[in-house]
Parts: sequence; C-alpha cells; structure tokens
Amino acid sequence: MIPRLSALSFRTKINCGIVLIVGLIAIPLAYLTWRAAAESLQTETRKRGLVLSDNLAMRVSDAMLSMDLLRMKNMVDELKKVDDISYAFILDRQGSVLVHTFSGGFPVELAEVNAPDGPKPHIRLLDTGREFIDDFAAPVTIVGTPFGTARIGLSRTKAEAAADRLALMIVFYSAAAMVAALAPSTLFARRVTERINRLKRHAEEVVRGNLDPRAGPDAARSCSVMLDCDKTRCPAYGDNRRRCWLTASPDQRGEGPESCRDCPVYREQKGDEIQDLAETFDVMAVSLKTHLDELRRAERVLSRQERLLRTILDATPDLVCLVDENARYLAVNRAFANFLGLTSEEIVGTSDRDVFPEDEGQAMHEENSRVLAAGRPSDREVRLRRGGSPVWFHVVRVPVVDGSGRVIGLLRTARDVTQLKQFQEQLIQSQKMESLGKLAGGVAHEINTPLGVILGYSQLLQEDVPGGSQIQADLQTIEKQAKVCRKIVADLLGFSRQAESAKIEMCFNNSLMEAITLVRHALSLEKVVIATDLDERMPIIYGDPEKLKQVWINLLSNASDALEGRGGTLLVRSRLFAHEQKVTAWFADDGPGISPDNLGRVFDPFFTTKPVGQGTGLGLSVSFGIIKDHGGSIRVETPAPEGFFDALDDPGNDRPGTVFVIDLPLDHEETIGGGHPAHATEA
Amino acid sequence: MRRRDVLLAGLCLPFLAACGRDEDAVRVDLTRREEPVLRQLPRAVTYAYLPQYAHTVSYERHRLLLDYIGRATAVPLRQVFPDTFEEHVRMVERGEIDISFSNPFAYIRMAAAGAWAFARIIEPSGKPDFRSQIICRRDNKAINTLADCRGKRWMAVDQSSAGGYIYALGEFFDNGIRRSDFAEITFAPGPGGKQEKVVLAVFAGACDIGSVRDGTLEILRGRIDLSQIRILAESKSYPGWVYCARAGFSPEIVEKIARAMFALRYDRPDDAAILSAAGMRGIIPAVDADYDSVRRLAEKLGLDALPGGEE
Repeated sequence: MIPRLSALSFRTKINCGIVLIVGLIAIPLAYLTWRAAAESLQTETRKRGLVLSDNLAMRVSDAMLSMDLLRMKNMVDELKKVDDISYAFILDRQGSVLVHTFSGGFPVELAEVNAPDGPKPHIRLLDTGREFIDDFAAPVTIVGTPFGTARIGLSRTKAEAAADRLALMIVFYSAAAMVAALAPSTLFARRVTERINRLKRHAEEVVRGNLDPRAGPDAARSCSVMLDCDKTRCPAYGDNRRRCWLTASPDQRGEGPESCRDCPVYREQKGDEIQDLAETFDVMAVSLKTHLDELRRAERVLSRQERLLRTILDATPDLVCLVDENARYLAVNRAFANFLGLTSEEIVGTSDRDVFPEDEGQAMHEENSRVLAAGRPSDREVRLRRGGSPVWFHVVRVPVVDGSGRVIGLLRTARDVTQLKQFQEQLIQSQKMESLGKLAGGVAHEINTPLGVILGYSQLLQEDVPGGSQIQADLQTIEKQAKVCRKIVADLLGFSRQAESAKIEMCFNNSLMEAITLVRHALSLEKVVIATDLDERMPIIYGDPEKLKQVWINLLSNASDALEGRGGTLLVRSRLFAHEQKVTAWFADDGPGISPDNLGRVFDPFFTTKPVGQGTGLGLSVSFGIIKDHGGSIRVETPAPEGFFDALDDPGNDRPGTVFVIDLPLDHEETIGGGHPAHATEA
Repeated sequence: MRRRDVLLAGLCLPFLAACGRDEDAVRVDLTRREEPVLRQLPRAVTYAYLPQYAHTVSYERHRLLLDYIGRATAVPLRQVFPDTFEEHVRMVERGEIDISFSNPFAYIRMAAAGAWAFARIIEPSGKPDFRSQIICRRDNKAINTLADCRGKRWMAVDQSSAGGYIYALGEFFDNGIRRSDFAEITFAPGPGGKQEKVVLAVFAGACDIGSVRDGTLEILRGRIDLSQIRILAESKSYPGWVYCARAGFSPEIVEKIARAMFALRYDRPDDAAILSAAGMRGIIPAVDADYDSVRRLAEKLGLDALPGGEE
C-alpha cells in the first residue's frame, strides 16, 4: 500500500523532491535537446549533403568533359567511404549512369526519383524499406550548360541514430546527475532531519514534563568571556548554554535581534533558523519550568488551604453548601452529603429539586431564588421529614458576591435544632401542665369540701326516707353523681400531683396483668381481644402500683375506645432493658390510628375526641402525669411500626393502629443515657 | 482551468509539439538492379584544345567557336579533353583528335607524325605570335635580373609548353644560363590549368621564379593581387597557337572548317564574342613553314628527344 504523502518522512520528501525536480528538468530538457539535436543534425546533414553533392558536381565536371570514368569512379567511391553516405553516382546529360557506388548493379528506380531543381540541387527523402535516405541531386553545370547530375544519398536513419545516441547520452548523464544529486541531498536531508528530530525529541520531553534537556548547541564561549564583561548580576553572565540575546534581552525579541546585529557575540554565535528555533525552545522550556515551579508552589499552598477549609467544613456538624447563581451545588461538606446519603461528587452540579423530596426541594429552591434575586441573607427554621419523624433545621442563606457586587451564588448552612425544638415543646408542655395542675388542684380543693357535704347529706337523707320510694331513688342518683364528681376531683388532684404516691418495689408484669385481668372480660364483650407479650424476666420497678394500674387501665380503655366498637386486638408488650436500666411497655391497638393533627395534643388536659359527656379528656394527661411522677416517659406512635402486629394471628386488618410507649426506670434514681432495647433472646 | 492543469499542459506541450515526421518519403526499391551501359556517342569531328587550362576553361573558351563552326559548316564537331600535352599529342597521332589547337612546340611534334597546320590565331595582343614571361614576387629583392635566377627554384608550366617553358628556357640559354644553373626546375602538377598554377606558385612563394606565356596574368586578374607579381623578363616572340589536322583527315572538311574560321571578324560583335571567349583576335591561314623558328629553338635547346608531358 502506498503511504500517504503527508506520512512520508521529511528526508524522503526532500530526496523525492530533488529527484522530482531534477527529473522534471532533465527529462524535458533531454527530450527537447534530443529534438533540437535531431533537427540540427538533420539540417546539418542536409547542408552537408548539399555541399557534398555540389562539390561532387563541380569536381566531376572536368572528368565528365574528358569522360574519365576512373576519376569519376574514384570520386564517388571516395564519398562512399564516409559512414553515413549510402551511395553516390553520376548521371550524364541523358540520364545514363556513368559511375556509381553500388555493387551488383544499379537500382533501376533510383535514377528517376530525384532530379535537380533547375540550376539548384534538390533534396528528396527516400524510403528504401530498411532505412530513410536523404537523396541530393546536384546539377553538373559547365558554363551554364547542364552536363549531368551528381547524386548522393545520406542515410537519415544513421543520422537519427546518432541523435538517438546523443539523447541516450543526455538521459544517461541526467540520470547520473540525478544520482549525484541524491547523495548530497541525502546528506543535506539527513542533517536537517537529524536536527528536526532532535527538536521533536525535545518537544516530546517537554510534553512529558521533562524540561531539563536542551535542544540548542552550547556556545564555545559565553558572552561575558568574549566581551570581558564583569556584570555578574546579568542572567547571561557565564552562561554558555543559552545565547545572551535570548536570556539577557528577551524584551528585544519584538524587534528581533536587530539591535545585536553588530555585536561580536551575535556574529559568532548566530545560527540558522533551526538553531534559532532550538534556542527559542530552550528559553521557552526554562520559562515554562520557572512558571511551573511557581504554579506548583501556589498549588501546594492552595491545596493546603483547601484541605484546611475542607477539614473545617467537614468537621462541622452543620450542613454547609455553596450554590451558584442557578441554585446548583458547587460544593457541599461531608455532613450535608451524609444527610442526603450521597457523595459530594454526586451532589455537585445538581439542585435542591434533584436531591430533596419534591415538596421540600421546591420550597428550598424558591427560597434560594429569593435570596439570589434579593441579595439579602435569610434566616429561618425548616421542618423536614426524615425516617418518619420530623427534623428541624435552622437554615441561614448568605449571598456570595463577586468583585463587582453581583450575586454569583449563596452559602447555605443548616443546623439541626430538632432536639432544641423538642426541649422547647416539652418545656411548654411542662409549663402548661404545671399551670393547669395548679388551677385544677385549687378548684378541686374548693369543690371537694362541698362535694363531701352533698354526698354525706344525700346518704343521710336516704336513711330517712322509705325504701323503694321515689325520693330514695332521687337521693341515690344524687349520691351517684356526687361520687362521679368526687372521682373527677380526685383525678384533678391526682393530675395536679396533689394526691400522695405510695411507691414500693413491685413487679412490672404483675401490674400489667392485674390491669388486663380487670378489663379483659368487659372488653371481650366489645369483641376486643387483649394479647400479651411480656418479658419473662419479670422486671421489678419502684412505683405506685395503684396509680400505675390506673395508667394501664386508662390506656387499655383508651385503646378499646379507639376501636370504635367494631372489635379488634390489643397487644400489650413489655421488655426489660437491663443495660439501660429501664423497662418499656407498649400498648397497641389495631384501630384507625390518631390523625396527625391530634397527635401532638393527646396528652393535653381535657383534650378528647369523644362526644360531650362520654369523656373528660383527663385520662391521658393524668397518665402522663403519673408516668412523669415515676421518672418515666410516655409517647404515642401512629401508625404502629411496621410489623408490630406480625406475631398476632390477625389477617386482613389493614388499619394503621396506634402504640403508646411507656418507659420506666428500674429504680427511683434517674438514669442518664440510653441504649438499644434488649431483645427477647437476650438473657 | 486550475493551475495544476495549466502546469501539466505546459509540461506536455514540448512532447506533443515535437512528435511526428513532417516530410513525405518516396518509396524506392533498391533491390531491382541492372548494370548500366553507356550509350554510343554519335559520329562527329573531334576537336581538342591543348590542355594548358582546366577542361572546363577549355570547354568554355571553345564552346562558342565549335557551335559557330558546326552551324557554318554543318559538320558535327565534338570537343574532347586530353588531360596532358603528351596525351594530346598521342591522341592526334592515334587519330583520336581530328582538329587540334596546340602551341607551336606541340605542333612540331605532331607535324612530325603527319599533322599539318592550316590556321593560326591572332593573339589578344593583335599579333600572330606570343612570348614567354619570367615572373617573380615583387618583394623578392634577391632577383632583379635574369642572372639573379641562377641557383633559384624555377617552376615552368610543362616540358612541352612553349610559352610556359621552352621560350623562357631559350631566353635563359641566350643569356648563358643553363638548366643546371637552377636549384631546381619543377613543372606545374596535375592536369590542366598549369599556367595559373605557376603564377599561384610564385605568388605563394613555393618557387622563386616562374615562366608563363603572355596573357596568363590577365586571366588571373581579379583572383590574385597582380601587383605582387613582377615580370622579370620576356622571351623573344614566336609564332602563335596553331590549328592542325591529323594525318589522313579529310582536307575537304578541313577546308570547310578553315573557311568558317577565317570568316570570323573581330569587328563583328557576334564574332568578337566567339573570338574573345577563345582568347584570340582572329584566325588566319598558316602553313607548316611558319613554325621553322620554333623547330630551330628546339634544336638549339636540344629538345628533339624531349619525352613530352609531365609524366
């Protein structure tokens, strides 16, 4: 396959070019020379033939007068000795052949084919079948009288053969010149390509990052030596590796080294264009190396600063990110990435709408856009959903501006304030409970005494009236309702902790089972089944058995009410977390659950979803107060955690359910810290 | 047209322009051959001029005269061209030349073989006789008199030449100079044109002195610078050139020819052209006795046994 012309080596191109040039010059020249020589030879041959024939005609005249055939024969034979003369003969006035040079007779056709043109010779080209002959017929004239004809035949074929030999010789010499030109051209091309290859290798080294090799030749003497210069601070001082006009006066390159033209250093060290190029390469490499060193130093500083900054950002628990003017992430810290469960690389280039849930992402994007558009910082608390529970962030957005004051992005930091929020809520709850307790306690005290009077008088009056009478029945109703009121007052007193607790060491499971036993029958009438899953280790707590039982009954009753009379299952579970020094109980139902709107208020006093007269709304708040009194906590989860009812044989129930979770310490001392709940399999 | 096409066309143009042979050739078969045979010439009276000049000069000189005689006598004449004096004499003796025009010395030899004179010419000088001239280069200071010719190189026309050798030899003889006194005596080489060759030899310095008949220098006027030639001496006058008929030739034809010759008049332009071309003023009758003075000179010089001719 013929390689592409551009893929040929430079040396081959030079050689081919020279051969082509010599060939293009030599071949047409040889051809034209050959043609010119052939024509010139032909012209000369004709002239010579004319002269010879004329000469023969003149010389033969005397012999013709005396009919000296021998002399005439000698004359024509003498001509025949000439190589390219094919024949010569003499015709007399009547056209008879007197003498000729042929052997074996005279060609009969030859005498007639040519004749003098009056007093002038005539030339005619003859084709004998074997060769071409220029036939010359010169008149033999004596004193104007034609006496005969002298004929000479000159072989044009032989003349052309001579021209052909000449052409062959020219071609041979042209070829020799071509070969001769090839040798110096090869040397020249080799010299040039060697230097170019050296430049190429140098460029390759530069590409690989090796800027130390040099392409240009060393100077025999440095400029300081040549000029006996003592300026040691000059960059070219003592340097014989680079030319002074490249190192000491680079600013003059614009004019070229014209200003150095008369300098002896320049005159001695100036090279050709390739040397110029090589030296410029060297200077470029040195400059590049200097710049690269500076860049590397700057890069190290920047890298260290970036690592420092990255460390700071990654170390902070706050979610920090930088977004551009299109609200796309430019950079995020580790906490941010961890929060999203992505890597920094995955986040960079995306927007809030890409990495956050749709509603959250859209809200954050709109807030970003507002800050970018307004150029003013923003500061707000945001509630997000993560893992089914709300997470609160304090988000600060600060616009980032460039040198001209244009907003080019914003820095956003988000601090997790969920715990703070919980503390705030708990504090509010506590304050509310405290105020309510005081109020309820005061009212209960005030009501308790007249209520006791009413109850006492109603009982006394019953003794005074006949049995079975309407009055007795009315008094019983008053007594019953007074007791109900006393129960409410007792609850209020209990809520306000004004009722005294009698805490003892007690079995947690027994407490639960007592309560369950009390209500199981009554609930079974409402098709409610109570399932238990109690920790077999029988955890012992320090508490008031009656009050706790009140809590359990309250929770079970509450759960039963949640089933709305359609029946269902209640699951009571207990677990001991020994290493956390606590015991936990779960009261779960598979009812319709609590609506999110009500979830935060179920422990509020007097909050109830029941119709008027069917509930006071104090059950859960009193339970809350008892559990708090025991140093525990109570919380509600709805829907019930996934798989909570899996152990029960209750297929087909697709209601979400509700779980109340009560944690109680194992003793009366407060326990700090927590841990993972102990599984049933734990010993 | 693109530049590349123009370049290509430019390169090809010389090749295209130079192609082909631009001349038609006549086809000739050289294989058909036969040996040529010369035609027999028609019968005619042969006429010869002693070859003192080249044949062409001889032809030119006598062409008009022969045309005239042919027309005047109705006798066909053909000029023949012997190469040497001796051959001329021999051809007359052999009967190959019917009418001979020769110098007196050749005549006395031919007369000895039976030829007989019937006419003689009037020289361009207007006289019926002529002489020999002894010449040298003008710048040859060593030769001022005939006596100075002793020891010199002498070129004569021919041993049989009257005006070119024998008359001069007689003049030397009369001045006491013999042939042995010369450093060498050479004769003009080759056939014909011998008078001119002697003048050219003297002019070129190939010899010191030369002898020619009078009138020769005029023939060469315009061809060489005659001012470079000096006439050292002239011989005595002797009868001029003579027409003779070979022995046995018809006297009637001779009579016709002689009558025609004698009828030429130099004062008639046509005749003058004929006579001038032949180098004569007129032709007058002659008899053998007119040449006794030449016979005496030959005798004096001991030329009876002269072999004749340069060979």
